[in-house]
Amino acid sequence: MNNDIPVQTLGGQGEVMAHAVDACVHCGFCLPACPTYALLGDEMDSPRGRIVLMKEVLEGGLPLMDAAPHLDRCLGCQACVTACPSGVPYGELITAFRGWSEPQRQRSPFDRAKRAAILKILPAPKVFSVAARLGQFAKPLAPVLPAALRSPLDLLPESVPAMQPSAKLTPARGQRRGRVAFLVGCAQQALTPNFNAATLRVLSRNGIEVVIPDGQGCCGAAALHTGARDEALKLVRANLNAFNPDDFDAILSNAAGCGAGLKEYPMVLHGEPDEARAQAFAAKVMDISEYLGALLQGGTLEPTLPASRPLKVAYHDACHLAHAQGVRAQPRDLLRAIPGVTVLEVPEGDLCCGSAGTYNLEQPELATQLGERKAKNILSTQPDLIASGNIGCHTQIQSHVRRQGDRAPVMHTIEILDLAYRGEL
Amino acid sequence: MSTEKLALTTNSDARKPAPAGGAHNALAADLTRLLGPRKVLSNLSERLNYRYDAIQFGATPLAVVLPESTGDVVAAVRAARAAGVPIVGRGAASGLSGGAAPTEPGLVISFTRMTRLTIHPERREAQAQAGVITLAVTEAARPHGLIYPPDPASFRTSTIGGNLAENAGGPMCFKYGVTGDYVRALSFVDADGEEHHVTRDAFDLAGLLIGSEGTLGLITEATLRLIPPAPHTRTLMAHFPEVGACAEAVSAAIAAGAVPSKLEFMDRACTNAVEDYLNLGLPRDAEAVLLVDTDGDDLDTVQGELQLVADACERAGGTVRRAATDAEGAALWRARRSVSPALGRIRPQRMNEDIVVPRSALPDVVREIRALGDASPFHLVQFGHIGDGNLHPNILFDPRKEDTHAVHDLAHDIALVAIRHGGVLSGEHGIGSMKRDFMTDAVDPATLKALWNVKRALDPHHALNPGKILPAEGVDR
Ligand SMILES: Cc1cc2nc3c(=O)[nH]c(=O)nc-3n(C[C@H](O)[C@H](O)[C@H](O)COP(=O)(O)OP(=O)(O)OC[C@H]3O[C@@H](n4cnc5c(N)ncnc54)[C@H](O)[C@@H]3O)c2cc1C
Ligand code: SF4
Ligand code: SF4
Repeated sequence: MNNDIPVQTLGGQGEVMAHAVDACVHCGFCLPACPTYALLGDEMDSPRGRIVLMKEVLEGGLPLMDAAPHLDRCLGCQACVTACPSGVPYGELITAFRGWSEPQRQRSPFDRAKRAAILKILPAPKVFSVAARLGQFAKPLAPVLPAALRSPLDLLPESVPAMQPSAKLTPARGQRRGRVAFLVGCAQQALTPNFNAATLRVLSRNGIEVVIPDGQGCCGAAALHTGARDEALKLVRANLNAFNPDDFDAILSNAAGCGAGLKEYPMVLHGEPDEARAQAFAAKVMDISEYLGALLQGGTLEPTLPASRPLKVAYHDACHLAHAQGVRAQPRDLLRAIPGVTVLEVPEGDLCCGSAGTYNLEQPELATQLGERKAKNILSTQPDLIASGNIGCHTQIQSHVRRQGDRAPVMHTIEILDLAYRGEL
Repeated sequence: MSTEKLALTTNSDARKPAPAGGAHNALAADLTRLLGPRKVLSNLSERLNYRYDAIQFGATPLAVVLPESTGDVVAAVRAARAAGVPIVGRGAASGLSGGAAPTEPGLVISFTRMTRLTIHPERREAQAQAGVITLAVTEAARPHGLIYPPDPASFRTSTIGGNLAENAGGPMCFKYGVTGDYVRALSFVDADGEEHHVTRDAFDLAGLLIGSEGTLGLITEATLRLIPPAPHTRTLMAHFPEVGACAEAVSAAIAAGAVPSKLEFMDRACTNAVEDYLNLGLPRDAEAVLLVDTDGDDLDTVQGELQLVADACERAGGTVRRAATDAEGAALWRARRSVSPALGRIRPQRMNEDIVVPRSALPDVVREIRALGDASPFHLVQFGHIGDGNLHPNILFDPRKEDTHAVHDLAHDIALVAIRHGGVLSGEHGIGSMKRDFMTDAVDPATLKALWNVKRALDPHHALNPGKILPAEGVDR
């Protein structure tokens, strides 16, 4: 798309944005993939529309606050990236745009406080754990609270488990075949500590030594995608210092959102001194299912015990796995490798569940509509188990599946694998 | 181009108008009163997004209506007429000739929320409102053992209304025909806001509306014919050292009695673009690559037809590769489906031509267009539905570095090659505003006058999609 984006004055992120706008030929092929377009049916709330709006704002032809409502409704799910035949890096555009525009936003004091709180609480597992417990007490109040406060409470599980710190080094069982670094993540440590425990067990079982490097922190994705670029940069640099890519075969994450965030580091640092380091780092980042999937492909994945009964598993593609990282086949292959497991495809599988980082908190109505739609689609397959590879999807799907009265367990792909290894599936 | 329009094309250096930021015009206010705020868009941020299609940016509309029923369309048309502003219908805006991009500020009626779809398996019919996405028809029909064959490459995005307005085609159209062949009846709202239901008998008014690009009426609903899908499909790819040989092979195969369901051609520049992108192992040296599907109820016949094509290709000096499995067939088609993204990687913009020439003229036409491309500073590639002689020469360019007038001139020269060989300007993408100027080359004055008379009969005040298809009247050409 032709544009007059003043790249010179915008710097490295300006180049990132102008490149994406250039590449878009406004063909509209991305429209049917977009969840907000599916709900609202108007061009401003479609990927193509948003690209045009961002272009206009960057060119100075449209005030930011006019475009903002439509840009804020974007989930960042990147379904449009998968659908785009021209390879437009929409994800990079919206992320860079949010970083550029946030400092210019007028927001109410309540809005500011809420955003600041989210960004403080999310990356700090201990604080999150305490907040989640406090939230438990507030749950009975939910019906009388405004939507913005109610939605996070709705998502909290019935009980918040105790924190389980992970060992700094998990040795390989048997002959050591690999050595990886592991990003432990933030919110999920507090909400679902078993994700990490299962990950360590499964890797160890496969002869992989796992190191949890000191000094690592939040991946920065939440800050980055809400436009808090300075905060994000601090987190990014901390992780670049904590992980030395030369020391490991891979840097693993078991949360799709975090993995996608780590892979974005070169884009975040485009045009800055650390760009090359970020590239070396990102080149080693893999989702847990990508890594194990490669072992499976190579025929070196330890076989699991069979499931105790035939199990139908509905696999939910997390947007940040399927669209942002292109990881679709591996989790399915891993599940299918467990004798007795059948993998079910979910109708409208490419449509976001509505969780999308902090979206639930910022756009509760749309998030709820998408959550309901996702739960209905999943339940239409009549699964025994529901699997996904992302903490955000996990809580969203669990909450909506329960609301629709179904008790099917919702698990991380790796938890299912872990159970299978232990003969408990 | 008027200053207003210039200011609104994105590559102009004219100053952009100050943003209005709201519905500060009587039309928007009137419409909001009539239809409620949900169906009417009046903020600048909203209206800005209804000024383009997949090829062109036009004027920013004064207001946009997102109707949910025919009643809404009627009300919107009447309000626009009362305000004296033009009306542009819009589907998914995937059009490639500027059809949905307004040439002057007015009302845009976007049909994306009119998506009611009913399948009547017993009549083998679908009843679809204008905003139904093309692919959705087949998806809804398939459980009943039926499909809707018209398959423009944009079928995941484009709407039935837009398909009818453009009379869209696709790879399957050689055997199965184009959109117009599947329309039994349609409903439309005329320029006065009157609703009509028309079938294909008497004066074929439905036929007149099909391909009229929103200049004669706004299509609200259509009755579409469905067919059972062919149970068997077989695929081959052939490549040729010379373009003429490819065209000859196609003609010979058809003469021998083969009726392939898909017949697609890519020239050397196109094949190489795809190869650079995906590394599929396509023959880089071949001047022409041909992709063919045959299909039908009886596997022997399907294979027999494929054999006829293979024989014809080999006799013409081609090298044939047959797909052994469905997966292999899909892999071969991947090359053709990847043309768009592959071209997008070469230059940010492309001018997509859509000429149709007699098959016998194809070798000459392809060669002449190649020569024009080689003599120009631009990257030019050719592909298309060769069975119908429908070619898509594409000029790739970078509007910031290259002269867009020169692109337009080259496109005009290409159009003239087609006309000289007895061809037409548009196979499936429409005339719109992009090829409107070329109409005087392609259509004789008496016929143009007849077209104008039709336009006047149905849209006397010239309110519907002005500036499209028909060149300005009264100019002596
Ligand atoms: C990559 C790509 C590939 C394509 N491949 C093909 C192909 O293979 N074959 C093909 O034929 N086309 C193809 N197209 C062109 C385009 O998709 C078709 O012309 C399609 O039919 C347009 O549908 P739409 O809903 O997007 O209409 P729009 O672009 O929104 O509108 C097209 C025209 O129809 C009018 N219109 C829209 N809705 C109505 C209505 N309800 N009533 C009256 N007028 C209306 C508009 O005013 C405009 O003039 C392709 C486009 C792209 C971008
Ligand atoms: S599909 Fe890609 S090129 Fe087409 S409009 Fe969407 S982002 Fe732009
Ligand atoms: S990221 Fe998701 S919500 Fe945002 S424009 Fe793309 S498809 Fe739509």
